[in-house]
Amino acid sequence: MRPEELARKLRREAAFDPAALERGKAVLMAAIRQASVPRRWPAIAPQVPYQDIPAALAFLERAFGFREIPTARFVSADGELLHATMQFGDSLVGVGGQGHHGAVSPMHGGGESQFISVQVEDVDAHYQRAVAAGARIVDELRDHSWGERTYWALDLEGHRWRFGQPTAR
Amino acid sequence: MVSSPSDAAVIGLSVDEPEAFGLIYDRHASTMLRFLGRRAGADVAEGLLGELFRIAFERRRTFDPARASALPWLYGIGSNLLLKHRRGEARRLRANARMAADEAPAKRASGAAHDARLLFPRVADAIEALPDGERGALLLFAWEDLSYQGVAEALELPIGTVRSRLNRARARLRELLEPGGEKRGRAR
Repeated sequence: MRPEELARKLRREAAFDPAALERGKAVLMAAIRQASVPRRWPAIAPQVPYQDIPAALAFLERAFGFREIPTARFVSADGELLHATMQFGDSLVGVGGQGHHGAVSPMHGGGESQFISVQVEDVDAHYQRAVAAGARIVDELRDHSWGERTYWALDLEGHRWRFGQPTAR
Repeated sequence: MVSSPSDAAVIGLSVDEPEAFGLIYDRHASTMLRFLGRRAGADVAEGLLGELFRIAFERRRTFDPARASALPWLYGIGSNLLLKHRRGEARRLRANARMAADEAPAKRASGAAHDARLLFPRVADAIEALPDGERGALLLFAWEDLSYQGVAEALELPIGTVRSRLNRARARLRELLEPGGEKRGRAR
């Protein structure tokens, strides 16, 4: 037996979810759409500090559906990611390092000094996605008398996010 | 007869018309999904698939148009993504080795050169112990049936480097097939 045939004997196929190909395509198509639409920089963009920027980017995408703008990365000379920008709807949020420009991650000590309020198109679906990704829900999904349905969640470093959708009155 | 455009032509078009890149996904996504799944299991593969093609899309300007097929290039991007999943890969490799051992015919007369139950787990360990570059080259060659040229394109290496990496990987595995190598494993 040749050595590479030994290796070949350990080859096994994985069993996939039939929808896996469609989900993968959705990721690509979102990137394609982002490249196709000229971007308008919003007047106000919150800058949120994290101890672990790559982990934050992954979480914010998985849990909240934010998309990084790949061309907007700042990387140091030795390859460390210093700042990234994510897009959601018509808004942007900056993801920066703990302590940079005086901004502090809740994980570093102390509480949050503010929260970020986000309007989504389908707050129920958004809630499910956040829960599935392990976001900590601190105020359950519910209707309010002023005609809004909201939930509150903490991200992986404890920043507080509020997601809402207007309801028919 | 209308022939469909080559991958290189589609990727070239996608520089100005991004939607064209969807065709690259339609052509190669299932191959990439199976590749990632063999290496790291279904869950990891499903999570990486979209990421792989998103990275490819973002790097489409750097695709070498002299290559007709995008597959080796995609294998290369996938191979890089898998480096972050070494532990999952190692687990899967060991599980595969147990399955291969269970499926193998029962041990023949004592002294049979290759007792599968002993051999396959050691093959898994040996593959796992290879440096990333050698393991990656070996598995692209042995599992994905890429040619030397394909492995070289995927890993962006000169073909001579691929040849020497594969030879080193083979030498490690060959030791396990030698009677001496097996004895060393049995002696406790």
